[in-house]
Amino acid sequence: MSSERKKWFSLNLGRKKAEPHSSCGCGKTSEGCGSNAVDHQMTEEAFNEAAINASIGEERVKDGFDQVFDVKMSRRSAFKKLTASLLVGAGAVSTSCSMMAGDDTKEKAQIDWEEQFKGNYKLMNDDEKKATVERLMRSYELRTGKNISMSSKNAEDDVLYGYAFNISKCQGYMDCVSACVEENNQDRNSQMQYIRIHEMKDGKGFNFDEADDNYYHEVPAEGHFYMGTQCFHCDNPPCVEVCPVQATWREDDGLVVVDYDWCVGCRYCMAACPYDGRRFNWSKPEVPEEEINKNQHYLGNRMRKKGVMEKCTFCVQRSRAGKNPACVEACPTGARIFGNLLDPNSTIRWVLENKKVFRLKEDLGTEPKFWYFMD
Amino acid sequence: MVLGGFSCKHGEGEYHGIMDKIEAEGENYHGTSLSSEPYFEDINMIEITEGEHTFLIPERKGEIKMFACSECHTQPLEQMQNSDFKKAHWDIKLDHANQNTMNCVTCHNPYNMDSLKSLTGNHIDFNNSYNLCNQCHAQQFEDWKGGAHGKRIGGWAPPRASMTCVNCHNPHEPHFESRWPARFNTQKVKERE
Repeated sequence: MSSERKKWFSLNLGRKKAEPHSSCGCGKTSEGCGSNAVDHQMTEEAFNEAAINASIGEERVKDGFDQVFDVKMSRRSAFKKLTASLLVGAGAVSTSCSMMAGDDTKEKAQIDWEEQFKGNYKLMNDDEKKATVERLMRSYELRTGKNISMSSKNAEDDVLYGYAFNISKCQGYMDCVSACVEENNQDRNSQMQYIRIHEMKDGKGFNFDEADDNYYHEVPAEGHFYMGTQCFHCDNPPCVEVCPVQATWREDDGLVVVDYDWCVGCRYCMAACPYDGRRFNWSKPEVPEEEINKNQHYLGNRMRKKGVMEKCTFCVQRSRAGKNPACVEACPTGARIFGNLLDPNSTIRWVLENKKVFRLKEDLGTEPKFWYFMD
Repeated sequence: MVLGGFSCKHGEGEYHGIMDKIEAEGENYHGTSLSSEPYFEDINMIEITEGEHTFLIPERKGEIKMFACSECHTQPLEQMQNSDFKKAHWDIKLDHANQNTMNCVTCHNPYNMDSLKSLTGNHIDFNNSYNLCNQCHAQQFEDWKGGAHGKRIGGWAPPRASMTCVNCHNPHEPHFESRWPARFNTQKVKERE
């Protein structure tokens, strides 16, 4: 069984195991088991219905809209019908209030409606991605009167992002943390931070129990060293495995991303991450208008809402444009190195091949793409 | 079958680990369409080749405010020096190695102030000042050439542009000052009370 090969525990929620009909997983050949009985007694339709009711396993083949309504119509016609009914509804409301509904209000309602019932970003084609990004930009403009730019740029071919962190160089200045918060529009109220810098005592190794990740004194402090953690963008990410709605996944360039509009906020991924890489919005994230970074990506630093997960995306809005993540650019000591693992001439590859690198909790088999090394 | 789907890591599981994957997928690397160039087009760069590494570093002489030095240093250094008081360069404090090991003329050429000099007296151009540093800091030089020491300019995408030694280190006081962290998370303190 596949689950026996995994070295971490993963919840198997709603994922109906397809047992072979000829034999039973319990090992019994007599009629004591019953797991086969279900399959035989139900018609296919009844089974499907039961499966949909009992689980969200169908998300594997159906997009968000079908999951909600289970209607047998194409997405396009479904949207048409819904939009038509929306307009009737909006019209009825406006006449009943005997007020002229402004075009803006209608447009806003239309956008909200289409956004509400859009599918999972992961399953969208390029046109659909572009459409949602345009809706979000227009919606922001309608609500605030200001413009943002939002990208839906896909992963580039021949790119796999990797990161290296030089423990000898980090001095604990936390310029990376600051740059990250500003770049990624993190909630200022809860002071959310993707990056943690751990101050560790010399001679104790990586002892996270005794490390301080919220120090405030002159750094570097005598007898201490510093190391940073954030999302490691595992190649075999346990957070993705446990997500019951597939709102988080690994992109082709290795970035582990979240569709904030698909996330239901169950926080399984937060529990599954062995590196404390994920953050949850307990309240509505707020960033002062003048501090908002308006260069955004759908999967990156666009504004989040209450009750969804977020995390480091290696600044997808920057990295997919060829830039370094904000933390790399901000680091004054050059402790952070970022690049393309598939490019044999990249600096990240030189580091992996020439320095003595290691990763955290390598034995878990999560294959983080975040290496540590020393001078 | 579902079982088959899960037995491999993420549906494409021919690799045992990330290093295998990098090796296999990197074999047919064709380059990317992304470029760092737009991000440093306003910086004057020079291309250098050191060993098997070729990359860009910022041009230096144009960045030194008082260059060329010979505009003031019309005579050899010893003839301009005055033992009573300092006539210029009041801001320069030499805190690099110890006084026994280094002084001004360890790096500056006292007979031609527009030029740097190696320990053996050979000319080193200000634009290639890393050749001065690597006389002692050989390990750092190796790491810098490979990309493990120092910082990139622009972004991760090719072409590679890297800062040179003096873009981060003041050659007269090359160490980093201790200072306070950029921020302190008061919310975290509350949460952990």
